Order: sequence, then structure tokens, then C-alpha cells
Amino acid sequence: MKVASKVKVKNALGLHTRPAAFIVKLLQPRKSMVTFTYKSETINARSIMSILMLAAKKNAQILITVDGEDAEATMAYLISAFEQEFGEK
Amino acid sequence: MNREGEQILRGVPISKGIGIGSPIFFSDTEKEISHILIPQEEIEKEVARYRKALELSRKDLEHLQNISRQNSSAEIIAILDTHLEIMQDPMITTGVITRILETRQNVESIFYQIIEEYKVRFNAIQDVYFKERIRDIVDVSQRILSYVRPLERIRISEMPNHSIILAHELVPSETVEANASLISAFITTAGGLTSHAAIIARAKGIPYVANVDIKLLKKVSLQSLIVDGAQGLVIVNPTRKTLKKYQDLKKEHIANYKLLTTTAHFKAETIDGYEVRIFANLENPKEIDLVHKHGAAGIGLFRSEYLFLSKRKFPSEEEQFEIYKQMVKSLKGKPLVVRVFDVGGDKKVDLHPDMADAPYFAAIGHEANPALGCRAIRFLFRYPELLEKQLRAIVKASQYGEIHVLIPMISDVSEIRQVRTMLAKVREDLQKEGYKLSRDIPVGCMIEVPSSAIMCDAIADESDFLSIGTNDLIQYILAVDRSNPHTAELYFSTHPSILRVIRMIVASAAKSRKPVILCGELAADPSMTPILVGLGIREFSVAARHIPLVKHTIRKWRVLEVCRLAEGALEYTSSQELKEYLLTEGIR
Repeated sequence: MKVASKVKVKNALGLHTRPAAFIVKLLQPRKSMVTFTYKSETINARSIMSILMLAAKKNAQILITVDGEDAEATMAYLISAFEQEFGEK
Repeated sequence: MNREGEQILRGVPISKGIGIGSPIFFSDTEKEISHILIPQEEIEKEVARYRKALELSRKDLEHLQNISRQNSSAEIIAILDTHLEIMQDPMITTGVITRILETRQNVESIFYQIIEEYKVRFNAIQDVYFKERIRDIVDVSQRILSYVRPLERIRISEMPNHSIILAHELVPSETVEANASLISAFITTAGGLTSHAAIIARAKGIPYVANVDIKLLKKVSLQSLIVDGAQGLVIVNPTRKTLKKYQDLKKEHIANYKLLTTTAHFKAETIDGYEVRIFANLENPKEIDLVHKHGAAGIGLFRSEYLFLSKRKFPSEEEQFEIYKQMVKSLKGKPLVVRVFDVGGDKKVDLHPDMADAPYFAAIGHEANPALGCRAIRFLFRYPELLEKQLRAIVKASQYGEIHVLIPMISDVSEIRQVRTMLAKVREDLQKEGYKLSRDIPVGCMIEVPSSAIMCDAIADESDFLSIGTNDLIQYILAVDRSNPHTAELYFSTHPSILRVIRMIVASAAKSRKPVILCGELAADPSMTPILVGLGIREFSVAARHIPLVKHTIRKWRVLEVCRLAEGALEYTSSQELKEYLLTEGIR
């Protein structure tokens, strides 16, 4: 199944290395395919380098798309991570 | 240039022959990344090499992380954590592997391209913070590359089969190590017809085309190459038809050469029974077997400086003694002419300032005119300890066979006197040290500078033999730089002045009843061999693999005919006319 949702980057430095690494780690046990779309660029969210290349700053709107058997749970985790500012709050 | 399909590039023909193979970009500097096309059957190995490097780098980082946990800041641990994530990024893992499989290029080359692509993409990011993240990626990539590095240290002597080496320039020390059975051809950007690398390539029979834009070739996806050394052509990604044509041509060349070698062990006699003795030139003592195989009368020119050039270090007296001893023993009574170190000038290697022998060259510094500078015997007189050691080794080895000493670049008769004095002192010293010395060692002079050619009668008087070094002699007589592409067309080995000077040298030597041996590539040119015999040359020294051809050429002529040919040739006053005469009259 496929789900999509828009999230806002809340932490001060945006999706920099630590949040990017956080996301990649979070996705490691998940089975779905996850992409981020920002400013018409869509990337594989399991790639730390690709996340960094989005250069998404604070308040950036990211479209998350999750496709796979654990799509809903994965999406929930991701939204929560964005909300919690990746443990930096 | 198109990315696909057959392309023909024209360069300068340096060494004849057909080479067919896959490209290897040979880096001039250690920093440069080599670009190699991996054969299909070895592609799995290449992927495994990358996986191994990834694993080693990961272990490296994990180890670092473990250490840091105990005594480093959270910052550092976080950075290492990020690096570990980058290393496991699918773009680094499967991304690189997919590209290796698709393009069949070596890991370093792919990795380098990918990092360059990231650099471009990160550079486009406005935000400085994100832009700077490329540093982490570069850092990780360097760690991984350091584990894949081993292939980069590939030596020219250890190239895979059917390699075609592409380089900006070849230095003699590398070329001398090249194995003709592994290397199919050379292609370079720089380097002229008469550079030392060119001479060695011809001696080894490795096809070579220069003046080809290597940087341009680096941008093309190269599958295979054909090098036509006689025409100076490089054919990129040949069609099946072209490939077949060149394969057939190559087979024909090999068959012809085999036919010549079947008679190589017979004497080189003219139809009417005059014997011409053919010796071999040698750079690498390991190749002494070729000398026997091709029926040489001995070694007419051992370029001892290659002992230095290939190791980047002057061999010790003991090392030299062992080498010379092994050589004369294996020659079984045939003579060995050792030309003492002919270094300096264009025969230099880049020595790291820390290397033991670097000061010899550093003290001379940059020379505006190296060909006219402190080289050969001038260099040895500047550092007499080098010459003394070499003479000691030669004298000691002379107990095991016949060794002659040849002095390069004599420009005044006083120089041979000086060498003789030193030789006498060395003998005296060795006798005092208890060595039993048998016979005197003949000392010869290389006639390769105009002043020595002009003063040849005086020099012949005081020498035991003369050796004409045609490569240098032509360069100095014509005042044409051998390796300068802008003057290469003025370098006429068939210039009338060269024939006259050879005649003069032969006459002077004959007056003092001293033998003359002609070394250099001129002798191996079938249109020149008969003329040279006609001018009175009775001994030649050529690269071992050319001996069968030279012998074959000599057997086609009568002495009277070659003398007439030479007389006819001496009447021409322009090099172009002389060349045409030789091509119509001199070839059989």
C-alpha cells in the first residue's frame, strides 16, 4: 500500500547530517520504499547523501511517500521524528 | 568526438607493429587515478575488490568509533556515525557496483567520477552549511579509496595481457621494464621519434604512436583499441571488419619475423662471403637470453645507466660486479661492451629529494640545455667516485670473460686519457687488494659529438676501438632536438652530412687499424644497412630483435654492390633526394 503526507522541517539547522542519519537509521528495519520530494526533486530517503543534497532548511515542506507492506507504521514513525525534531528538541 | 563507433586518430608513428588490446591509462603522477577497462571475465573480481574495500573501511570506522566512545566528544562520535551512514549509503554501495557492471571500468575510475558528480551537485547548493557536507563525503571516499588503492600501484612490468598503455609521457625507466608479451602498444601525448622511450619500444618490438591527445581519449568510452605503429594510427573501438583486417596483418608480421629468426644463428655474410658481425644492444641484463636466441656475436652496447634508471639508485660496486660477472659468464667468450653510465641530459629520473642519489642531480640543477650539459662522461668526471666504482666492478668481472669499456660523449682526447689513468689506478688498487688480474681491458670511445668526429684520427689513435652512436651524432650534427615534435621533421637520419661523417670516422679508424662498431637504430633500417656496409662498417650493434632482419638484409648484397650504392649516395647533396635514392636503390 502507498501513503503520502506533507511534513514541515522544524529543527533549526534543517535536514542536516544528524537528522539525515537519524532518518536512514530509522528506515533500516522498515520494508517499504520511502521517498522525499522537495522543490520538485524526489530522492530515496534511505540515502543520507541524497537527503543532504535536498538542502532542506527549517520550515521546508517535504512530501513523504511510503510504499510497501509496513507503509502506515513507517509513515507514523517518520512524522513523529519530524515532529520531535529528530531528538534535538 | 562521438562516444560510440569506430574512430581513427592520427599520431606520429614511433615504433612499427600492430597492437590490439584494451586501454590502460598509466598515471604520470601518483595522485592521478588510473582508468582501466576490466575484461568481462574479471568483472566479478573487480566488484569483490570494491566490496572488500568497503568492508575494510567500515571496520576501520567502527574501530575508530569504539576508541572514541571512551574518550572523545559526542561531536566526534556523531561525525563518525555520519561517516558510517555515508559509507552504507546505497549510492556508495549498490550505486558504484551497478556502474562497475555497466561500464566495466575499474573501481577507482568509477568512484572518482561519482565523487566528482557529487562535488558538482553540492556546489550548486546555495546554503553554505549543506554545501560543506561534501567534505564528509570526500573524507569517506578517501578512506574507501585508500583500501582500493593497491591496483593503482600497478607497475608497467605487471600489466595484464594485451594492455595498451596510454600516458602523457613514458620515461625510459618505465619503458625498460615493459614486457612485450603483455603490452600490446604504447600511446602517448608527448615524446618524439627519437626519445629514449621510443628507442626502447622499438628494441622490444612494442608498437608505439605519439602525439595523440590522451585527455580526449579519456572522455570517450573505450572498449578496445588498435595501434598501427607503422602508419601512426590509433583506431578507437574498431568495427569487426577493421579488427579482422588488423588481426590478419599482425599474423602476417609474426609469420615473417619467425621466418627471419630461423636463419638468425647463421653468420651475416654478403653473397660474396664478406662477414659483417652483428652484436646486440642491451638495457636489461635479464634479457640476455634474447642475445643468444637472435644470434648475436656478443653485446656491442650494454647501456649500463639503465641499472640506475630502473632502480632510481646507482648500483653498488658489488651489485655491478655480480651483474657483469653473470653477463660475461653467460656470453661464454663473446665480448661484452659496457658503456659506463650515460646519465644526465635527457636521461634523468625524478628522484625524491630524500633519495640517496638525489644530491648528484640536485647539485647540477636545472639545465637550460641538457643535451649540451653535464651528462655522460662529464657527469662521471664530476663524480669520479661513481666511475671508479664502476671501473672496479668491470675489472673484477673481467676475470670471468671478455669485457670492454666504452666511454660515452667523448668530446676531447684528454677525456680518454683521464679514463685510462683512472683505470690504471683501479687495476693497481685491486692488485694491491690481492685480486689476480688477467688481461688489459680494451677502452673505446663513443663518437657521437661533432668535435670527436672531427678529431676522430687523434681519438682513434688512443682508443682500442670506436663506437659510432648514431642517435646522438645525428642530433648534434644536425642541431635538431631528437624529442622535440616541432623539429622532428628536420631529423633526417639520411642527411648527406651523416654519411660523410661516417665515412670520415671509418677512414680515421682504418688508419690506426682500430675496429669501428656502429650502434644505434640507423643500422636496423633495411634501407640503410647496405649503405653503411658500403661505407666500410663491418660491425653493427642493434637491438637483439632486429638482428635477424639486419642479417637477412646483408645476405642479399654483394660487397661491390654496396660500395657502389654508398658511392652513389655520397653524390647527393640534399637529404630529401638522398632519401628517395635510398628508397629506390637501397631496398631489396
